[in-house]
Amino acid sequence: MTLVKEAPAPPAGKRSAAPAAGRRGRRRENLVGYLFMSPWLAGFLLLTAGPMIASLYYAFTSYNLFAPPQWVGLDNFTTMFQDPRWQKSVQVTLKYVVVATPLKLLLALGVALLLAQSRRGQGLYRAAFYMPSLIGASVSVGFVWRALFSDDAVVDRTQKIFGLDVGGWIGNPDYVIYALVALSIWQFGAPMVIFLAGLKQVPRELYEAAEVDGAGPLRRFWNITLPMISPVLFFNVLLESIHAFQVFGSAYVVSDTRCGPADATLVYTCYLYQKGFKEAQMGFASAMAWTLVIAVALVTAVLFWSQKKWVHYEEAAK
Amino acid sequence: MGDNMSVERRTVLKAVGASLTTLGLAAATGCGGGSGSGDGTVTIRYAWWGGEPRAIAIKKTIALFEKKYPKIKIKPEFTDYEAFWEKFQTQASGGNPPDVFQNSVTFLRKYDKRGVLMDLKTQADAGNLSLDNFRNGVLSAGQADGKQLGIPVGANTMALVIDLKAFEKAGVKPEFGWTWDEYFDALQTIQDKLKIAGDTGYFSIMYLYDLYLRQNGKAFYTDSDLGFTEDDLTQWWEDGYKRVRSGLVADPKKIEQVKPKSGLSAGLAASEFTWDNFSIRYEGEGESDYGLAPIPTTDGKDTGQYLGSLMLSAFTGTKHPKEVAQFIDFMTHDPEVGKIMGYDRGILATSEQYEAFTPTDDNNKGVKAYEEEVAAAGVLGKITPHPSGADVIEAAFLRIGGEVAQGKTKPADAAKALFSEAKAAFAG
Repeated sequence: MTLVKEAPAPPAGKRSAAPAAGRRGRRRENLVGYLFMSPWLAGFLLLTAGPMIASLYYAFTSYNLFAPPQWVGLDNFTTMFQDPRWQKSVQVTLKYVVVATPLKLLLALGVALLLAQSRRGQGLYRAAFYMPSLIGASVSVGFVWRALFSDDAVVDRTQKIFGLDVGGWIGNPDYVIYALVALSIWQFGAPMVIFLAGLKQVPRELYEAAEVDGAGPLRRFWNITLPMISPVLFFNVLLESIHAFQVFGSAYVVSDTRCGPADATLVYTCYLYQKGFKEAQMGFASAMAWTLVIAVALVTAVLFWSQKKWVHYEEAAK
Repeated sequence: MGDNMSVERRTVLKAVGASLTTLGLAAATGCGGGSGSGDGTVTIRYAWWGGEPRAIAIKKTIALFEKKYPKIKIKPEFTDYEAFWEKFQTQASGGNPPDVFQNSVTFLRKYDKRGVLMDLKTQADAGNLSLDNFRNGVLSAGQADGKQLGIPVGANTMALVIDLKAFEKAGVKPEFGWTWDEYFDALQTIQDKLKIAGDTGYFSIMYLYDLYLRQNGKAFYTDSDLGFTEDDLTQWWEDGYKRVRSGLVADPKKIEQVKPKSGLSAGLAASEFTWDNFSIRYEGEGESDYGLAPIPTTDGKDTGQYLGSLMLSAFTGTKHPKEVAQFIDFMTHDPEVGKIMGYDRGILATSEQYEAFTPTDDNNKGVKAYEEEVAAAGVLGKITPHPSGADVIEAAFLRIGGEVAQGKTKPADAAKALFSEAKAAFAG
């Protein structure tokens, strides 16, 4: 069995089809292209870029929506760093990111490994495992989750069989965050699909050669699979952790909109939302938003820096 | 090739045309929200919060109004409480709040300070709105700083809702003027005999703490600040937490999980403090029978109560102040409206409406009897208008009280946190 590596598909489209039209044609095409992009472009400028720049300014002001914003310099940031609820929200979010992301990726990788082998009904399994990723962020699933993890509900009763009665996770500040973690892990389908794609790219002959040399499955995984899919792993780690920092919907719905009990699910964005839209402290909320942007950028930078040490790109191997 | 391009151009033109049309439509509908039209008909936006039954009833009253005033059209908007105030804040900050809206004492000073509320006295002086016939002085619930910022549609007061069966089984009977000691003794008896908690978490309810403070010559708010000390609150929360641990107050973990149901209707506790006009919910939610009992007192007489109120307020920048005033007048005085609304927003505020409606069901009869009893006892005091920021403080009180109940925050730290959050809220 020889596996030919696929060449990148030639760029489809007219560019290759009409070289004779020359520069004018191309420019016109560009224009048409921009025209088609214009709804998106307008949306981006008006609804994303504009508000972002405005919020950067608000971050240095005191702004309650009614009176014009007043410049306060770094006040929002100094208040924020001393605010016990802000500290709590950072703590809750970090806990969520650090627990949920690795577990979700582990499960995604594990299932992807199982699904990578061809067997009957493969498509069905893939679709079934991917499904939660499509619906997991919905409000209705949040309600279902609340019901599942409440006192005397499915999870609680199952626990009782093993003598682990905590009286439901939702009302307990020590457990409720793990209900959110579980909801995140349950949506392992998206990274799983990416892992699957990565696994399919690993050349078979490497495994064949390793097998001939007498390497067991564990060794093959450690020495072939893992290095070969490390770029995909890197991508997933990056994407999932950025995603986890921004968790909002599940915390908001599962906690019945209060991000409690006792602020136990007060994730960063939930506090931001409360400050901005409940208390109308838009300056403070903007400062929070930019602090999150910077924090996520730092995490991303660290991850990019670390990839030298563990991510293996094929070009380098050649 | 040329052919190809022209097709493209046509498509592009079509696309552009289509988007222009949509823009045009959007602009046209944007104007549709405005109010005047050629034949002198004006449109007023009316917004409120509340459940389905309230929406159905209010729509009926709107139809009645439009029949009487064919030149005024009402555009209703409604949602639940939390969403209402979020939306209102956004609309009001953009200069586009509804012309008339449901309001409560918590938001009077907040939105007066932000220049949103109309002083309705001007409209009363102009003869568009009557301020007469409000019962038991409830009109003052809509006043702050010498202005009439809201016109009450109903009067309500805090009550103790009890599980009648549980109280009967335990053999305890609430009496008017009973003291806190007697109340907690009763809860103890219930706990001993029935093995359920007595209360669902009284110490996180800002309005109840207000009554307790008033019994002791203070109040939750002064005109611009909190009316109690950190030590007062520490004591209140320490006592509360003690009662959670002893089981007199229900386990907050359980209470949390039956939401949106109340812990009382879920059978987790035998009583709960709330507004008397909310008591209708328990019959629907729970399996027992529920009734209203008096607020416990400190001195054996004074409950510290006052009449609170839902009210109608108007946007100061409305284009149709006269019509808005006529609408509020109709909604607060017309007997037919009273018949339709019943006690959904509290006991009807004006005597015209109060006399037009005779409750037939047990719940409404109970609410009526309760408020009459309270009024007859002569304990009703004057409401303190809340300072700006009270909405944020009320939410913080509930949240921090919940932390105390869960044992996550020490009462002293909790009181400190509330004071620091209150300071920020007053400044905002």
